[in-house]
Amino acid sequence: MTVAITAGLLVFGAVYLMMKREMLRVILGFILLGHAGNIVLMAAGGTSRRDLPYGSPEDLSTIADPLPQAFVLTAIVIAFSITIVMLVLAVTGNDDDDTAAAAKEVQE
Amino acid sequence: MLLTCLVIALLTCFVSPLITKFLGRNAGWVLALPLLGAAVLAVSAFADAARSGSADSSGSPVVQQWVPWMPTVDVGLGLRMDGLALVFTLLVLVIGALIMVYSTRYLEPVGKHGTFYLLMTGFAAAMLALVLADDLIVLYVAWEATTLCSFFLIARSGAGAREPAIRTLLVTVAGGLLLLAAVTVMIIATGTTRLSDILVDPVWSANGALTTAVAVLIAMAAFTKSAQFPFQAWLPDSMVAITPVSAYLHAAAMVKAGIYLLLRFSPVFADVSVWNVMLVTAGLITALFGAIAALRRYDLKELLAYSTMSQLGLLVTMIGIGTPEALKAAVIHTIAHALFKSALFMFVGVIDHSAHTRDVRELAHMKLRMPVTATAMGLAAASMAGVPLLLGFVSKETMLKAFLDAPGPAWVPWVVTAAAAVASIFTFAYSARLVLGAFGGRADRSEDSDDVVREASPAFWGAPVLGATAGLVLGVTPFLLDKLVTVGATASAGEEVEAHFALWHGLVPELFVSLTVIAIGTMLVLARHRVHHAMAPYDFPISGLDVVDTAREQTIRFGGVVGGWTGSIAPRRHLSIPAVALIVIAALAALTIDDLPAVVGEPSDPLDWVLVVLIACGVVAMMQAKTLIAAIVVTGVVGFGMTVWFLQLGATDVAITQLLVEILTVCVMVLLLRRLPTTFEKTPPRQHVIPLLVAGGAGLATTVGVWALTGRREMSPASEYFLTEGYNETGGTNLVNTILVDFRALDTLGELTVLGVAGITIAALLRARKPSPERSANIQDHSPLIDARDNTVFVRTAAKLMAPIIVAGSLILLLRGHYEPGGGFIAALVGGAGFALAYLAAPSDRSARVQMPYLLLIGLGVAVGVGTGFLGYLDGSFLRPLHPEVFGFQATTALVFDVGVYLAVIGVILASFNLLGRPPKRGGQPLVGGSDPGAPTHESDVSDAPTDREKRAEGESAASGSTSSEHSRDHANNPEESDEVNAR
Repeated sequence: MTVAITAGLLVFGAVYLMMKREMLRVILGFILLGHAGNIVLMAAGGTSRRDLPYGSPEDLSTIADPLPQAFVLTAIVIAFSITIVMLVLAVTGNDDDDTAAAAKEVQE
Repeated sequence: MLLTCLVIALLTCFVSPLITKFLGRNAGWVLALPLLGAAVLAVSAFADAARSGSADSSGSPVVQQWVPWMPTVDVGLGLRMDGLALVFTLLVLVIGALIMVYSTRYLEPVGKHGTFYLLMTGFAAAMLALVLADDLIVLYVAWEATTLCSFFLIARSGAGAREPAIRTLLVTVAGGLLLLAAVTVMIIATGTTRLSDILVDPVWSANGALTTAVAVLIAMAAFTKSAQFPFQAWLPDSMVAITPVSAYLHAAAMVKAGIYLLLRFSPVFADVSVWNVMLVTAGLITALFGAIAALRRYDLKELLAYSTMSQLGLLVTMIGIGTPEALKAAVIHTIAHALFKSALFMFVGVIDHSAHTRDVRELAHMKLRMPVTATAMGLAAASMAGVPLLLGFVSKETMLKAFLDAPGPAWVPWVVTAAAAVASIFTFAYSARLVLGAFGGRADRSEDSDDVVREASPAFWGAPVLGATAGLVLGVTPFLLDKLVTVGATASAGEEVEAHFALWHGLVPELFVSLTVIAIGTMLVLARHRVHHAMAPYDFPISGLDVVDTAREQTIRFGGVVGGWTGSIAPRRHLSIPAVALIVIAALAALTIDDLPAVVGEPSDPLDWVLVVLIACGVVAMMQAKTLIAAIVVTGVVGFGMTVWFLQLGATDVAITQLLVEILTVCVMVLLLRRLPTTFEKTPPRQHVIPLLVAGGAGLATTVGVWALTGRREMSPASEYFLTEGYNETGGTNLVNTILVDFRALDTLGELTVLGVAGITIAALLRARKPSPERSANIQDHSPLIDARDNTVFVRTAAKLMAPIIVAGSLILLLRGHYEPGGGFIAALVGGAGFALAYLAAPSDRSARVQMPYLLLIGLGVAVGVGTGFLGYLDGSFLRPLHPEVFGFQATTALVFDVGVYLAVIGVILASFNLLGRPPKRGGQPLVGGSDPGAPTHESDVSDAPTDREKRAEGESAASGSTSSEHSRDHANNPEESDEVNAR
């Protein structure tokens, strides 16, 4: 339940931020969405078993599922690189994140 | 043996750029040899098969070879050469070799011919694969490969060739799709991809509808490739290609692929009436249209293009008639056409090079003293016209005989023969026009001073003379072709066919038809000026090219309309679509699903609630943040919350990764902050309502979804396997890491590549477009912050000590990753953090010690990953980890793979610091002091070269007052620049 609520909270924030005008907020929204995706992946492996998956355990009933962990690990790094690309997109191209300046221009 | 042929052709293609590099245009001499060698191999293999008596059901000898490729889906490199394949193999290789030799003199002595030879040999290899393929998938791939080769060969012929090349591509690719549909249907219907099995499959006689559908698809595919009505327009259009390309395209390659396909499937469809009707109708229309159109051309090459169209029309008609006699005619006419058409194209190229024109009207004012070219070209043209003693006569006689004996209602033979005879009359006329246009016209005989054109070198005309002479030799002794045509026609008819050609068949009906054709043709030639005047005013009402162009424009416009539905300046419009869709799906699911499995175990822990509260605070703070800095700081709060969450869930490695990524994300964001405004836009409260509703709905849907769909099963068998066998299989104790580098290394390699592409994207973006200018920090003069050197002293001292330790520590993490928390990703992120510290501690961007060849590192990383992958082949498969013993220690190539991961990740991090933190010189100059933060700084941002050009441009426009042509061209090349200039 806690994981489900966390995922819901993250998606809530993500969608809200993505519907904003500024690229930076959209990017922050994507970061939250990435977190949400990761936690959903973890949930898919089950959250009732939480012991570290190391060595060759005898009793599997308490060991956390290593497969989603591996997925999430790479997902985090990929999300990081995507974040950087989006950040670069925010500063290249049109300088239209500056809503204050844009508004000023319109007034003039 | 067949595989050897194909490999020879492919190798020729691969080495051709290298050979061209050393030999220039003379590479053709060398490249012709392997093609001829492969032809000899093919013939000897076939002769062996004929001797040993290995034959298929129809009695044609056959050579087969099957190289398994994807055994699980029963796809293999199936090669099979029966008589039909042999005929086309010889055409492809021998004509290909002739054209290679010809190219050595046709091409400019200096210049880059690497791509030409590469594509031509590639074309030959693709055609060879096509005719030898016994697997439908291989056949389809080869078919598309010929399409691509022809596209690139046409497109490389200069700026004017772009549009024709695209039109050709569109038409032929459309045909490729039809073939793909046919291939798919056939594979599904018969359950095999093997062509030879499919052709004798009982499904064809059992299922009439299927047979008809596939017959139509195959016929249409072949029509696009062989330029048959209504897809004929691309062929003359593609005349922009250079002559060797046209010669190959028309004689042996591209268009013959369609003929081959039709002949190949003829045994199955010859009795299907749709097939007969389609082929005969389209063939005759094309034959007549092409022949008449050819007579109206001034450009010799264009004339030949229409002539090819017409000849192909006759061929398609023969295949459509489908009797053994007609197929025999098709095979011999294919050979005859390849010989005379390749020769004629090459001769036109010779004339073009020597006289610098191929326009009949200009050639009429010149004196072409080229006895060899004239004679041999006359022979080839006579063969095309069907004059006795030449191969063209033999093939045309065979064709007329087949048409006169055509099955069906009584009027069929009459109509088909009459149409073919009319087409032949025009063929006779345009053949004469070709030769007379080049050599006959003497508009002003009196002045013969300057415009005398002399014979070119023998190396230039040697190859086409060979082709033209072959037409004569085989025409006089046609029985030499008996065997080849017998096996070819047998394979294509699916039953035993005997071919006996002779110069004199007696007084048979077809002879009288031929004589009539020649008689009327001669009259047309004698009255050629009057004929031309009579025909000139009539033009074909619809241009096929316009149809293609209109279809293309409409498709693009339609794409624009569809794209317009999602395109909007406000990202929220399309970003909200998935969220709304999620809500809808969740609502539907809530209404329809009523039975869920029980939850397994206790998924929550009391401590979890602390994290939920922490995340909630972070998320709300992010939504509320007014300034960028605040938003970034609270993003960190959520990130660290996630880190603890992962720890709580027993995912140490994931938690460490998250922590490091969080730090680095903030570092990168800080680099960009100075280029962004400091505060967010203020939105009126009523504009919050819809976003809050959508976000709330999506959040709720997520929560319900996660609650309902997860935690309701035991561990998956895959995970159980990793847990129980992971250590035994890999010797690593860190199971997450073993999954990453041992079990699912291919996934990880894919991820590395994504990272690499991200790094390259950043570099490309920042090199192509300058980043927004930096904004002033608004620091007061007396502030202690003003001197970066002084106020970084502490962090610099610390960094001096810490940065090397961090980087060294990252190496340790890398090495131990297989056994304990660590591994390539984590180690690289730690290393990246070390570089981040080194960068942030530096008093200025320039002095930061992070300059490293980041793109090289990324490339090395991916290369190491792929290299380890290939190493895995030593033990059976790509990326399989090896466990060799080195000096008594158990080593693993998985560690090497992890080094690849490390390099790629650190490369991306370094790329962002180098590119964003230390922008290249052309980047914006920071504004010092408290001047207007939003002021545009374009002047200081443009690099030196464009500035100079701009100044010149400004000066010019100021001086002249109007734009000169050179000026406007300058602008056309640099649209962005011109905008800037105009803006001033």
